[in-house]
Amino acid sequence: MENGNRENPTAKKTKQAKGGQFYKSVWRWHLYAGVLFAPLLVLLAITGSVYLFKAEIENVLYADYYEVKAQEERVAVSEQLSEVNRLYPAGIVTAYRPGETELRSSEVTVEADGMSMTVFIDPYTGESLGELNNDDRIMDKIEEIHGELMAGTLGDRIVELAASWAVVLIVTGLFLWFPKKMNGAGGVLFPRLRQGPKIRRRDLHAVPAFWLSAGLLFLIMTGLPWSGFWGTNFQAMVTNTGEGYPPSVWIGDAPKSDVETQDIAEVPWAAETLDVPLSSVQGLVPLSLDKVVEIADQEGIHPSYSVFIPQEPEGVYTLSVFPPKAQDEATMHIDQYSGAVLADYRYDNYGVIGKVVAWGITLHKGSQFGLINQLISLFICLGIVFVAVSGVYLWWKRKPKKGMGAPKAPPLFKTKSFLLLMIVLGLLFPLAGLSMVIVWLFDKLVIQRLPAVKKWLNA
Amino acid sequence: MKKFYGPLVAAAAILLLSACSVRSDAADLYKQEVPLQIAAEVPEEIAPGETVSLQAKLTQNGEPVDEANFVHFEVVKQDGSIPYPMKEAQALGDGVYEMKASFRSDGLYFLEVHAGSGDAISNPHYQFIVGELSESELDSLKEGPAPDAGSSGHHH
Repeated sequence: MENGNRENPTAKKTKQAKGGQFYKSVWRWHLYAGVLFAPLLVLLAITGSVYLFKAEIENVLYADYYEVKAQEERVAVSEQLSEVNRLYPAGIVTAYRPGETELRSSEVTVEADGMSMTVFIDPYTGESLGELNNDDRIMDKIEEIHGELMAGTLGDRIVELAASWAVVLIVTGLFLWFPKKMNGAGGVLFPRLRQGPKIRRRDLHAVPAFWLSAGLLFLIMTGLPWSGFWGTNFQAMVTNTGEGYPPSVWIGDAPKSDVETQDIAEVPWAAETLDVPLSSVQGLVPLSLDKVVEIADQEGIHPSYSVFIPQEPEGVYTLSVFPPKAQDEATMHIDQYSGAVLADYRYDNYGVIGKVVAWGITLHKGSQFGLINQLISLFICLGIVFVAVSGVYLWWKRKPKKGMGAPKAPPLFKTKSFLLLMIVLGLLFPLAGLSMVIVWLFDKLVIQRLPAVKKWLNA
Repeated sequence: MKKFYGPLVAAAAILLLSACSVRSDAADLYKQEVPLQIAAEVPEEIAPGETVSLQAKLTQNGEPVDEANFVHFEVVKQDGSIPYPMKEAQALGDGVYEMKASFRSDGLYFLEVHAGSGDAISNPHYQFIVGELSESELDSLKEGPAPDAGSSGHHH
């Protein structure tokens, strides 16, 4: 303190220099992260824009499979299943979806020959309307690109990394956007279009990005709970506090049938011999799907539900529905032998954070408020594409012929305020944090030792 | 410089390695059902014409249920040939309910217990044999237990 008082001018100068260093560090990281992740963010925004309209698109694509003529009486669910058994004698039926309206076919999911098929059944005639290989559904492919780049766990982590780094981009971008002097709203709240191409280019990236940042952050934060690493851990932590989704709605195990194995009737396999110990076929037998659908209707579950059929003797029937509106969600587990409701989780039974996440997800998917929700989300997606492209364009125009054009920044550990910022972001988004450590190590061990690369990156 | 590096890597490592999972008792923190559990007692061997006691023990939360809203027993023959009406079971105390019955013909039967207590309803199906099984009943057994098999048309 004493020192500072005596050497006031120098202290001020150092402070300014420190501020400049902080600004350069922020700029440098924003530029590299932006250039690296812009293509991914564009891809996510475009696939997301399409996926917003999943229901509308599928209604057109699969009209022949979906639409049925309403008649007086429906055939029993078990008869609909026999039709599927006839089509796929070796298939295993894993799920049944009754159809939410009178004009909607029912769907049977069957695993056969290593493929997962959906057979569409006219519930009034019991006949098949056709089948789809679930791997061939275009919207599922788009979802797969959006969620994991069609590259499984690795892709999931990359998408999560892009989402986490997008948060870093928002935070660093806001620092760069924040006006150093208040000179009116030009370049802050609206772009200065008539002050030369350089200012125009900067403003056409920074100003729309500022306006979009809240929407983008919203889409990231509502999308992250889906992700394989951040999402799974977040959901598990929140579920464990009692404030999240109840277990089995998102992650966690379903309850098991509370029966003794020896009480269950055995199925004598079609062996050549009829030498069956008859006492073992006496016992509990599973309920038919007809009964389960009856229970679902009594319990007042949203009609677009699916029933997942137990594949193990101690398994349960799971009724699950994630309709357009979060408040209609339900997950119910039913004992496969007694029909007893073992768990019945509705939206109202979610914890506070679970409700928020559920709303986040339906808003993210654009289904919560229908068309207006879809249009706002579409606008944000198109905005993301614009900001990503205008950002890369800004960099391309500014960059020198040789090199990336990033400002030379002081070593990470010299500017403590910036380091702190990165640590906080790295802890909130561990995957981004891990990649920061890797970048830092890569810089230290490789880039700094290769003069040509060092020069190009201005490292 | 060194002093930052250690904690940073350690923190990242801890976060990445301590991937947490849902605790097995997490369900206790949310809405819980109190399912009605029913354990039925059907004699292992029943001869045609013999009067036997079919019993079901009702428990909820491990406690015997003596004040059930209703306990009905229904017996259905697998081929649907002999309908037995649904009957109210007699309470024997300690959560046990009973119905006496005798079956005239051999074959594969189902005992359906319909019971309710509080908000919980339970409706288990038990498969049992009277006397000897016919060929077609053995065949249908091999296709797997089907409590509603009566409607799917296995006739003699």
